[in-house]
Amino acid sequence: MNEPVIELKHITKRFAKVLANDDVSITIHKGEVVALLGENGAGKSTIMKILYGLYHATSGEIWIDGKERKIATPKEAMDAGISMIQQHFSLVPAHTVTENIILGNCKGKLDIKKKEKEIQALAEKYGFQVPAGEYVKNLSVGTQQKVEILKALYLNARVLIMDEPTAVLTPQEIDTLMEFVRRYVEQGNSVVFITHKMREVMAVSDTIVVMRNGSICGTVKKTDTSEAELAHMMIGRELETLEKPGTEDMSNRRVRLAVKDLSIKPKDHTPLLEDINFEIHEGEVLGFAGVSDNGQQELCEAIYGGIPITSGKIELDGEDVTNESVKDRIKLGMGYAAADRYRYGMVAEMSMSENMLLKSSYLNKWVNHGLIRWSALHRYTEDSIKQYAIKAPDHTVTAGSLSGGNQQKMVVAREVDMGDKLIIFDQPTRGLDLGAINYVHKTILGERDKGKAVLLVSTELSEIFALSDRIAVLYKGKIMGIFKNGELTTEKIGLLMAGVQPEKEGAES
Amino acid sequence: MQIFVNLITRAIFMSTPLVLGALGEVLAERTGMMVTAIEGIFLVGAWGGFIGAYLSGNLLIGFLLAMVCGLIVALLYGVTTIYMHQHQIVMGTAVAILVTGCCTFFYRVIFGIQTVPLKVSILKTIKIPLLSKIPIIGQAIFSQNLVTYFTYILVPIMFFVIYKTSLGLSMRSCGENPEAADAAGINVTRTRFLAVAIAGCLGGIAGAYYPLCNVGMYNAEIIGGRGWIAFGICFLGNWNPVGALIFGVIFGISDALGIFVRAMGTSSVPSELFSALPYILVIILTVCRKQFNVPAKLGANYVKED
Amino acid sequence: MKQQKKVAEFLWWTVLAIILGLVISFAFLPLLGVNPIESLKIMLSETFADKFSMGNILVKTTPLILTSLAFAFTYKANLYNIGAQGQFYVGCICAVAVTLQLQTKVPGPVVLIAACLASMIGGGLTGFIIGFLKAKFNANEFLVSMMSTYVITYVMQLLLRTVLQESKHEYLKTDYIDNSAWLPKIIKGTSVSLGIVIAVIAAIVIWFILYRTSMGYRIRVMGFNQDAAAMSGINPKTQCMLAFFISGAVAGLAGFTEINGMQHMLLTGLESDIGSYGIGIAIMANANPIGVIFAALLFGTLQVGGTALGHSTDAPASVIDVMLGFVMLFVLMSFFVRKKLEIRSMKKQKLQKGEV
Repeated sequence: MNEPVIELKHITKRFAKVLANDDVSITIHKGEVVALLGENGAGKSTIMKILYGLYHATSGEIWIDGKERKIATPKEAMDAGISMIQQHFSLVPAHTVTENIILGNCKGKLDIKKKEKEIQALAEKYGFQVPAGEYVKNLSVGTQQKVEILKALYLNARVLIMDEPTAVLTPQEIDTLMEFVRRYVEQGNSVVFITHKMREVMAVSDTIVVMRNGSICGTVKKTDTSEAELAHMMIGRELETLEKPGTEDMSNRRVRLAVKDLSIKPKDHTPLLEDINFEIHEGEVLGFAGVSDNGQQELCEAIYGGIPITSGKIELDGEDVTNESVKDRIKLGMGYAAADRYRYGMVAEMSMSENMLLKSSYLNKWVNHGLIRWSALHRYTEDSIKQYAIKAPDHTVTAGSLSGGNQQKMVVAREVDMGDKLIIFDQPTRGLDLGAINYVHKTILGERDKGKAVLLVSTELSEIFALSDRIAVLYKGKIMGIFKNGELTTEKIGLLMAGVQPEKEGAES
Repeated sequence: MQIFVNLITRAIFMSTPLVLGALGEVLAERTGMMVTAIEGIFLVGAWGGFIGAYLSGNLLIGFLLAMVCGLIVALLYGVTTIYMHQHQIVMGTAVAILVTGCCTFFYRVIFGIQTVPLKVSILKTIKIPLLSKIPIIGQAIFSQNLVTYFTYILVPIMFFVIYKTSLGLSMRSCGENPEAADAAGINVTRTRFLAVAIAGCLGGIAGAYYPLCNVGMYNAEIIGGRGWIAFGICFLGNWNPVGALIFGVIFGISDALGIFVRAMGTSSVPSELFSALPYILVIILTVCRKQFNVPAKLGANYVKED
Repeated sequence: MKQQKKVAEFLWWTVLAIILGLVISFAFLPLLGVNPIESLKIMLSETFADKFSMGNILVKTTPLILTSLAFAFTYKANLYNIGAQGQFYVGCICAVAVTLQLQTKVPGPVVLIAACLASMIGGGLTGFIIGFLKAKFNANEFLVSMMSTYVITYVMQLLLRTVLQESKHEYLKTDYIDNSAWLPKIIKGTSVSLGIVIAVIAAIVIWFILYRTSMGYRIRVMGFNQDAAAMSGINPKTQCMLAFFISGAVAGLAGFTEINGMQHMLLTGLESDIGSYGIGIAIMANANPIGVIFAALLFGTLQVGGTALGHSTDAPASVIDVMLGFVMLFVLMSFFVRKKLEIRSMKKQKLQKGEV
């Protein structure tokens, strides 16, 4: 084994509300890929942000090249050869690729033209197709990630930390990234790969560090372990298995939601949605697979009435709702749990009761002649807390003080009650721990069995496969095809998600 | 013709403090900080400028004191917003009230009750040799006072710093995406603090312009919302020094027009409307133009959990 | 229980901040050769000397409650109505114009009701325009409302110089309004009119709207999270215009209580500070409508005391502005300090739990 480059020794990190890292020790060797595996909220990102100087450890030591070092700022980390690509990219959308890369690494007068050439050359060296003079806001997510990598390479980083780098990529793009990682470590550099996906861990890493609840529960060599063992370490308990959606034919059932030729084409912009056609029947889950930012959010919002559409028709239970406002669609029985719940689905500063009222302020559910019936609303909220096992002392606590999983349960509880006919779930389990995921999945299937139509958007293929009766693949605002669950292999869906139409056989629905 | 030249001369003269204040505001807002204390900074600048000049008999000392006073108020604003995370608009209002009170109070402490307003002689205009002989613009542009020349030289300098230097890049990044700037090793709080401090210095000089270059005396109403107009100019000029200059001159013209109309005395349009013209102009321009180029995180405090 | 503890804590910190602000501003008095302890004595004794000056506290408090509510209400919607001063002036103009037109022609109470409505509608429409510009053109409401005050001040001067000017055409003021159109005095031997009752009722109504009605709920939702509001069928633009209308109407109402209740005429430069004082009071009360009543009362007391100080000693009235400035500064700082302490105690609690 090569000599260690970085040693994190007994790091503990305490935030106001949580103990994020508890006595974490990790060693990173030269020429090695370390996978940091764990569920959301296990403390993977926190420990790496400490190494990168974004957070400061409450206690513990960082040793670099066999000497103890204090890392107070990202600048000092970079000086030590450490770079980090965060989950939410640290790019300035309004600046060019070059400006983003030289940010913080230049002095005095800028010679943008010269720098642009340098960076273009660097990109070509690694086979990246990145236009150095382009504004970042005009680049695809995949390209933005390459800009982040270039930034690290420009700094001559020898330790590259990547936080969930594959979440925004197609399976094929992931392969390209893995290829880069291999080439990069061959040159004697090291990579830390933060992820919660087993497949990637097995594909690329040498050493696997598994974290749970802020501490390390195992460090193993890839060659000595199996996916099953890793999963067990990661979760620490068994989960109840869900019944797979049946393969029964639903095309004879009543159509609840029909979307016809739906398009959103803003001026001076590529279409966000183009000629979307589909139906969801009574008691059916239609899953939308796809890489994020391929029109999923726009589709959900268009159906819910949140954004204007250019053309097309939306029918709910045979009634044309195309021109109805969000307010009226809520009245008609649509529920929508948005992917960005913090932004669209809740008011962090308000109490849980007030949040449960959010979608029904115009309805007569808890409002009487414009006056709110607080006591009834409080009772309802308390009931929901019990029913969904939300960890909250009572209905008066603010939604923002709940954990992400409990916030999502609250939103789901509300939307399930609001959506009498149709419920739209956009990434319903993003950021949740496995227990909460399990609960949300059970709820979705339960509502389906009640005869509601469910539109499910997810970037996690496993989730799509586990819940959907039929699966649609969305790519650049277009439906690449709608299939029965079971007709698609992972490989084929991967190609569809990348916009490649595989040989036509068996692809009709 | 002469009336026209006089008007333009006066317009440029009146636009100086607005442009100067707006330049500081542009720099600060590029880093994401709205310096809503600008009205207070202008006022304290006017106060400090007058006191310094009156007591020392030297206008330079007046301007220096104005700068220091502006800086102090800006630092107070910076500490409470940047380090103590208080809301920028609320804090700006609080600072304005505090400054208004303190200026009146300490003016009284220093000078007691005066029956006749105290006066200082105002800054002289300097004719630039040769250039001032050019017809029209010779008088309008090259026969102004030093502060005006300083302001107009500052416009290209500010433009260069913001768009062509690494410091400018860092500053703009703090206003667009402070998390990214932080991750790139830039000290966001320090950068913002620096920008607010510079805005304070420039705002202080701008405020002192009114007593020391225009009227030669001080009273509590001397600024009367002109700080807010500079604030508006920064918005209208798209957070760009050149835009600030253009809109500064437009407001200079409206200011000058009001003065001319009042001087002529006979007019079918009431003079009050001319006095209100700059304020009406801000409203109309704010409504009419589409905002673009807004620093993405303008007005949002950067709070890092740690 | 927890809620009560929090309120109590908030009150303690605010009181502390206020005391600190007062101490610092009084510490400046020796600069003018005035003994701060003596001044405090004078302030207290003069203010509470008789019924009349105690009544004056309520008189001063009345418009402050209303302009402060105007700021607080939009603040709850995350909007900034800095133009309460202007809306107050519009309210004054409407009240005085209607009163002068109608007085002696119709019964007094009718005049009062008409003037009251006119002032609210006038102020409300002024606010509404700002809200409309914000909603329709995304014009910065902070800037527009700020500028509107200056414009309105000049317009008021123009009106006072022309159509509204007194019959003698001497000063920039209107004629006195007729006795029959005065708001009735509610305490004998003072100038306290029904205005204070109107102001307190307004505060309660604003509180009720915000926390008991779905309309207020929607405005608060919009204030916290515009995106969530829009995705819940709550149109942020409508809420914005509504919030500004109500805010303007409340500020306009101050014009009515001031004209018909106190001044009985309109003159240029009337109460030119109550807009910014209102903002300060709202901040002191953390924008709570009921808290506003007490904060305004405190400030009204300071104003009366400050004026008394000005009469009896060499201290200028501007010492009140210094006081208010420091009090606001310290109240804002106390928010920060409280949060810091809260986080620290949370960390400590966690630490102790960990050790057990």
